[in-house]
Amino acid sequence: MPDAWVSVSLTSLALLAGLVLLAASVNMFGLSKRWDPSLKHCFVTGGSSGAGLALAKLLAQNGAHVSIVARDQAKLNKALEELEAARQNPQQVFRAYSFSVNTEAGSAAAIEAASEPFDGRCPDAFFLCAGASRPGFFVEQTEESLRTGMEQTYYAQAFTALAASKTMVQQGVKGKIVFCSSILGYFSMVGYSTYSPGKFAIRGLAETLQSEFMLYGIDVHVAFPGTIYSPGYSEENRVKPKVTLKIEETDEGATPEVVAKIILDGVRSGKFHITVDFIGNVFRSSTAGSTERNSYALDWVHGLIGYIALPIWRNSVDSTVLKHREEHEAYLRERGLRS
Amino acid sequence: MPSIWTSLASLALIPALFLVATRILSFKTRWDPCLKHCFVTGGSSGAGLALATLLAQNGAHVSIVARDKAKLQKALEVLETVRHNPQQIFRAYSFAVNTEQGSVAAIGAASEPFDGHCPDAYFLCAGASRPGFFVEQTEESLKAGMESTYYAQAFSALAATKAMVQQGVKGKVVFCSSILGYFSMVGYSTYSPGKFALRGLAETLQSEFMLYGIDVHIAFPGTIYSPGYEEENRCKPKITLKIEETDDGAQPEVVAKVILDGVRSGKFHISVDFIGHVFRTSTAGSSERNSYLLDWVHAVVGYIGLPTWRKMWVDNLVVKHRDEHEGYLRERGLCSVE
Repeated sequence: MPDAWVSVSLTSLALLAGLVLLAASVNMFGLSKRWDPSLKHCFVTGGSSGAGLALAKLLAQNGAHVSIVARDQAKLNKALEELEAARQNPQQVFRAYSFSVNTEAGSAAAIEAASEPFDGRCPDAFFLCAGASRPGFFVEQTEESLRTGMEQTYYAQAFTALAASKTMVQQGVKGKIVFCSSILGYFSMVGYSTYSPGKFAIRGLAETLQSEFMLYGIDVHVAFPGTIYSPGYSEENRVKPKVTLKIEETDEGATPEVVAKIILDGVRSGKFHITVDFIGNVFRSSTAGSTERNSYALDWVHGLIGYIALPIWRNSVDSTVLKHREEHEAYLRERGLRS
Repeated sequence: MPSIWTSLASLALIPALFLVATRILSFKTRWDPCLKHCFVTGGSSGAGLALATLLAQNGAHVSIVARDKAKLQKALEVLETVRHNPQQIFRAYSFAVNTEQGSVAAIGAASEPFDGHCPDAYFLCAGASRPGFFVEQTEESLKAGMESTYYAQAFSALAATKAMVQQGVKGKVVFCSSILGYFSMVGYSTYSPGKFALRGLAETLQSEFMLYGIDVHIAFPGTIYSPGYEEENRCKPKITLKIEETDDGAQPEVVAKVILDGVRSGKFHISVDFIGHVFRTSTAGSSERNSYLLDWVHAVVGYIGLPTWRKMWVDNLVVKHRDEHEGYLRERGLCSVE
């Protein structure tokens, strides 16, 4: 009997040693310097509210030049005032620009405008926080609403990334692009057919660029926050199906400031995927595949927890959906969606 | 004195037994395509045609949808050669399915021989790939990429769902994503986002369709040796081709067989080869798993093998390509730096 334990222990030790060596070799940027936003020019889309504004303020507090971009001029003016309140030193340049960034032309124009105070030099870091969510049942969607969903999630960030990349490559700027996906870019469930596809697509783009930008020395980051208590969230809940709200009953959200702090911290420590809470870490580790990991050895723990806990949680989600069948049948009949 | 490994292994047994128990209680019988009406988009070539042919061999009614009438005619002839019994209905319809309207019209037409009863299973194989460097893309090309990967299937799924829910048909929707819906790399900015988006939609619907008793499946094949693949390689960046040098592809018939088998055994995610299984199990998250216990093995292989492959092969080759790529950029005026 003792021999068996010796074998098991030795094998475990060997495995552990192997993992540690692998971790050391794949996690080299754990030793690299922390990125400092001070006097870097940070370009923030969706920067007039929610997590985007919180990030913009945090960057200002850390000494960065900040250009915020959104549509609403009034909100932008108010946001600019908040940036001023966070000013650290007189050199910092704070600007607000009203542009629609969900086209390449709009994004390119916004970046050009933002580059003017810097003699045409483009921003160093692009925080792409533009996005919105309008959940609903799939059978109630139309081509138009599905396209709008993709516009508001994926295109809202993809074309800015495109314009930013071309400019940085043209000028030889070894900058950063930070995408904002969502925990609904790691998994999905009832009600999110207009939202998850675009958030998954952002991950797909980030994965491509993280590889491709090794050609340019440009870093890519992508954040996957859960619920953020922002104006956007209240909007979202107005149209969200009851069954989705029920499933999310036990969810805890976070304030934009907390989310912004974790995202900036993740960018500063060079993390590719940035998750915001425990459940985010579990999803990140359980869906990583070949994605560059931040902490190879620790991910294993989160991954194991996920392997055990996620199917159990999922089962309860499925259960809630199944219980909703009858009520949903009546809902369909009322709307003429079921004969 | 039990080691920590034994304890952890025991802990993992709890959900395993739980899942096995719930599976046994809701044991699914193998789905039989015989005399079911199967609607196949992208059905005139490649994996779509191979699937349509296989379904015909298995006794199904088959409606194939694509754009090119000549290809559709040829495909219909292929279906006839594998006719299993005289009752089977084979039809080919020329429609563009990348709009809801086009998809609705196609389904409407396909339902006619069945007194308006909509198809039972929708195999959405429409899709194309045009790789290239991100800095050479435009808003137009990124949108075209999303059209030919995501929208090409999403609107068919939308039309199919509305028809099935309206008529109370407890059918199936089968999406075709790609292994590039599990990971991505240099050259695929017009392709991966849409393939990831398909997964996002499938994950939503797999949950939502529990309201209707409609099954959702999604396949993640790697390289398929089809006409589409040759098109793709014509514009693929050299560096991407180099990284893919060691890849083995599969014939459309082989891929179709694995996909149909997965649909018949009720698998949600359907991967086509060993590397596909490794990616599937390493990215599963909360997705419904087919084989909870076996997945663990593939996942451990992935946890060690995937980062190794990624760092030492993929990233390494990209970094080595930097100098050559700088020359490429300058030639095209994409970089002004001396």
